[in-house]
Amino acid sequence: MAAEVPALIYYIPLIIFMIMGAIIPIASLALVKIIAPLRPGRRKISIYEGGLSPIRDARVQYSVQYYLFAIVFVIFDVEVLFLYPWIYVYASKFMESFLVFGSMNIAVFEMLLFIIVLLIGLVYAIKKEALHWV
Amino acid sequence: MHFMPLFPEGLLTIIAILIVLLGALIKKSGKISAYLCLIGLILALGLVAATAFIAPPAIFFFGTVSVDIFSQFFKAVFVIVSLLIVIGSMSRYMDDPGADEFYSLLLFATVGMMVVASSIDLVTLFIGFELASLSTYAMAAFDKSKKNLEAAMKYFIFGSASSAVMLFGFSLLYGMAYTTSIEGIANAAITNFSPATIVALVFVIAGFAFKMALVPFHMWAPDTYEGAPPLVSAMLAAGSKKMGFAAAFRVILIALVALRLEWYLAFAILAAITMTLGNLAACWQNNVRRILAYSSIAQAGYIAISFVVVGAAAEMVNGYSIAQLGIAGGLLLILGHALMKTGAFIGTAQVANMVAKQSDVDPDDISHYAGLGQRAPITAFSMLIFMFALAGIPPTAGYIGKFVLFSSAIYAGLLWLAVLAILNSALSLYYYLRIVSYMYLREPIGPKMPESKGYVFALIITLIAVIWIGIFPQAFINWALQAAAVLLPQ
Repeated sequence: MAAEVPALIYYIPLIIFMIMGAIIPIASLALVKIIAPLRPGRRKISIYEGGLSPIRDARVQYSVQYYLFAIVFVIFDVEVLFLYPWIYVYASKFMESFLVFGSMNIAVFEMLLFIIVLLIGLVYAIKKEALHWV
Repeated sequence: MHFMPLFPEGLLTIIAILIVLLGALIKKSGKISAYLCLIGLILALGLVAATAFIAPPAIFFFGTVSVDIFSQFFKAVFVIVSLLIVIGSMSRYMDDPGADEFYSLLLFATVGMMVVASSIDLVTLFIGFELASLSTYAMAAFDKSKKNLEAAMKYFIFGSASSAVMLFGFSLLYGMAYTTSIEGIANAAITNFSPATIVALVFVIAGFAFKMALVPFHMWAPDTYEGAPPLVSAMLAAGSKKMGFAAAFRVILIALVALRLEWYLAFAILAAITMTLGNLAACWQNNVRRILAYSSIAQAGYIAISFVVVGAAAEMVNGYSIAQLGIAGGLLLILGHALMKTGAFIGTAQVANMVAKQSDVDPDDISHYAGLGQRAPITAFSMLIFMFALAGIPPTAGYIGKFVLFSSAIYAGLLWLAVLAILNSALSLYYYLRIVSYMYLREPIGPKMPESKGYVFALIITLIAVIWIGIFPQAFINWALQAAAVLLPQ
């Protein structure tokens, strides 16, 4: 029997990656500090060195309502994503041994439960006027 | 019935969803939500108590959820804490326009914690963890004052960072063992040990330590406990924090392997620093909720002793019984601390409620507690008992937990740690008695105040429970010992 490969072997690339990830930014910044000549001017130290002077503050405030819509959207996005692995399991031989109520696969029942809970969330969001743009 | 042991979680989930629906469909649903929540929690407590000594463990969902004595112990703690908070909240949130949200979030958080207590699989554990965390993030900002938002933001950022760290540790563990089952990982770690296990464990323990508020991951706790609404602080200190311990105890099966390599010394130092720093920092605070937060950090240090005991006992001849005693001590202190801290935070809620109307100064400042013994006798007396209990003076729940835990440390040959813990308990008396002296020895700063019924009721129940455990501890010690036996491999 061949000797077991220690699990750590598989992590050596990861560890190298982590070490290099820590070294490279520090090294490159340090190199720039050492090599590059530093002659700042008013134009040079402005935020975008595009030659244009900035016209207003870079920060823009979005209405908080975008986030509410985004959250509701993400819920249903994730639901669809979740349906893909579900259909894979549902169609497998393995699930045929889990029948409830005669012929209904229990996977259908579980997915129904999941979607009902999400629907309750949607009803809640609509009733509390989260989707009402003001 | 087959699924009978899972009824408490099921019931609470259904009631939480029902409250959400009621809140959406009915205009003023605060009262109905509160009473539904109360009834649900009482029923759930009954169901948990009915299966308190369940043996052998009932395993569900392809070996991901285990209902055993250990999980029932923690579930009882979580449900009792939520129950006390609901009773207390009846004089605070019942007529609030967002009351339904408060109660449904509270129930979701409770369910999440209960799932964590039961999970024997990393994925289930993480989902429970996140359910409880996300609900409490929202609760921490519930009053929407500036202080609330700051507290919630800090809690949210620290919490999500800790989740990421924990998840990274989980992924490393999965990469080594090709399974997410905790038992499977433990077996893989024993047969095929590698240093990477320790790396993964450090990440996982760091993730839990954020929730447990162990030094050096404690920074968020004082700010959040001070800024969040008092009842939510009670939930965080008594419930959410204990969830971290439940998860850590579950995972310690894997950690045992690493701990055998004298890694328990690292835990010992962590515990020692946590309790010392918590107690020392508490001495300088003037805000009562900050004092309680630092004392909560110190208590986390005491509870962490039980991990050290398990590690140290692994090499001893009669190690099994010592490890059992160590975990039992930790569990008893968790039960006691959950009750005492809930009570103490409800007491601060009462005081904040009384002074909030008068001025815009910090309602939790210790100067508002001057003469509380005459202004609000019931609150002051309960606070007095909770302070003594937190310091570990008999006959209270705090004393029993500390007694069992520290004696297990002595049996395990960790005399220095036990002595340090006892010295720390003596030190902690300083700031606990400082609050007591303000309440009873100073001149009252105002007239007698009416005490809110909900708070008083919750305080009295907590008071009875704390003293009851102190006077008749045998049943609880027995329960904790049996719960500990579930965790340890035979």
